[in-house]
Amino acid sequence: MKLNEYLRVILSMIELEIRRIMHDRTELYLRAVQPLLWLLVFGPIVGSFHSIPTGNIPYTDYIMPGVLAQSTTTVAIFFGLVIIWERESGILKKLVASPSPDFAIVAGRSMAAGTRALFQAVFIIPFAVLMGVKIFPNPLYLISALILVFFASSGFASLSILIASILKTRERFMGLGQVIILPMFFGSNALYPVNSMPPLLQLFASVNPMTYIVDALRGLLITGNISQLPLDIVIILIFDAVLISIASLNFKRIIE
Amino acid sequence: MDFAISVHNVSKKYGTLLALDKVNLKVEEGKLFALLGPNGAGKTTLLRILTTQFEPTSGEAFVLGRNVVTQGEELRELISYVPQEMSVWTDISGYENLLIYSKIYGLSAEERKNAIRDSLQLMDLTEAANRLVSTFSGGMIRKLELACAVMIKPKILFLDEPTIGLDPATRKTIWEKLKALNRESGTNVFFSTHYMDEAELYADEIGIINRGKLIKVASPDELKRSVSSDLVTVESSSEVSRSAASHLRKLRDVSCVESKGNTLEISTRSSEESLGAIVKSLLSDKVVIKRIATHKPSIDDAFLRYAGTKGSAQDTGRLSELKRIRERIRRG
Ligand SMILES: Nc1ncnc2c1ncn2[C@@H]1O[C@H](COP(=O)(O)OP(=O)(O)O)[C@@H](O)[C@H]1O
Ligand SMILES: [Mg+2]
Repeated sequence: MKLNEYLRVILSMIELEIRRIMHDRTELYLRAVQPLLWLLVFGPIVGSFHSIPTGNIPYTDYIMPGVLAQSTTTVAIFFGLVIIWERESGILKKLVASPSPDFAIVAGRSMAAGTRALFQAVFIIPFAVLMGVKIFPNPLYLISALILVFFASSGFASLSILIASILKTRERFMGLGQVIILPMFFGSNALYPVNSMPPLLQLFASVNPMTYIVDALRGLLITGNISQLPLDIVIILIFDAVLISIASLNFKRIIE
Repeated sequence: MDFAISVHNVSKKYGTLLALDKVNLKVEEGKLFALLGPNGAGKTTLLRILTTQFEPTSGEAFVLGRNVVTQGEELRELISYVPQEMSVWTDISGYENLLIYSKIYGLSAEERKNAIRDSLQLMDLTEAANRLVSTFSGGMIRKLELACAVMIKPKILFLDEPTIGLDPATRKTIWEKLKALNRESGTNVFFSTHYMDEAELYADEIGIINRGKLIKVASPDELKRSVSSDLVTVESSSEVSRSAASHLRKLRDVSCVESKGNTLEISTRSSEESLGAIVKSLLSDKVVIKRIATHKPSIDDAFLRYAGTKGSAQDTGRLSELKRIRERIRRG
């Protein structure tokens, strides 16, 4: 299999996802409700106490990248449900019997989830601007942030596919999905700076991929301070590569 | 002779359950082959091994001369597979399903256009093509799956219970299309079914499988002939004499005569050829014939003999699961 054949499968999967979204955007709207509540209610109220050291950034602006990261990774984490549905129907069997290599299938489906997450971001960012969040005025930074959302979500979607291939049923998957999302969100710098956490939590935050995603997004979207960005990107790309590889090695298990 | 499929001593275990037990099989090129057996016989397992989805526990299998374990990548370019369960995306249109599959298979933009149009036409889906698949009937979904499978012009089509849960009229049209495809392009069709009549009507060769063992492979005619002779039943107005029965036994081709009161059951190699002689012999013994009937052995008889069980499987297990999935799709 040559590189362009991998690319072909991946692009087909992304196209499939875009066509799905075009036919039915309900999920997109429903998933937008929660992040909007964070920005509309939680941000202003907690911000009014001035209790969290955010530098001189308004609190709602401070949490906006975290809320964006959380809602887009949630889309990705629950993408495994699609895979479980495709397992119960015969779609995965058919894909496995097709010439597409497992790696391309997993990478393709992960990036399809990344695409869905991107649609989510394109929804949330303008809303935040409407609410008065001051986005750092540099279009290159904004585009970089969107690319970052895409790759980060793709990585989480591979994690989700990996979990789906181990758990296999919808019910078990739903349970675990929740268990992953909340600790990742609260155990990161999404809502408060890492150095304000107890030491054990700080340790967790330092290995939590969410921390790096939020840090990168905050630099690109709010502060314009991107000194940490190269490290963040390296970590996100390693996270993607490792998870897509493990998930594709494990992929055949799902149809056993 | 080149074989499209050859299977040597293939066994497959799921944990301790032996789903396939030393299966040996050869299928010639260009044939329509039916794997006939009740639920749980191992049909799906064999199909999935042949389509390189997993490896056999022991034994070897070759499809189009390629080893399914070591040459899977090459082989997957040449085959199509339609699983027993539904296998299209329901939240996009029929056309979009074909489009995405054709892209996954790497058809060029021009090939794609023609291939999609032709396969839609073949399966009578041209008009419904732009509707969401979730609005399709079960038969239309099956046809769309078949359209996906034929679109890439495979050398072999593997179909797992292609007409399961469909009404008789839809089953018939689907088979006519597959028959035509096989005739016109020489595409091999390897399908599994638990419908006797389908195997009998549409397959060139039938393999009877039960409890993981492939018991008998033969053409539908051979199978029926191998079972038993034809049966001629004669009803008379009074009890038939012993001498009349013994005269019948002496006739050529008659193997056995049983008399039960007013009724005679005569086994013969061919009822068409013996009927004249039987009637003549009875008339000369002054037997008054009230009614006469002939019975040809059916594929059911053959199945019963080889598999030792009734073939018309109850719709349990996997099938009810399939119905559930189709139901869920219909509800959207
Ligand atoms: N993935 C699996 N894991 C465990 N057992 C299985 C699996 N698939 C099939 N079986 C078992 O193997 C046997 C053969 O199944 P299958 O090949 O699906 O039969 P058929 O398609 O003829 O109905 C059955 O007893 C079935 O329960
Ligand atoms: Mg089956």
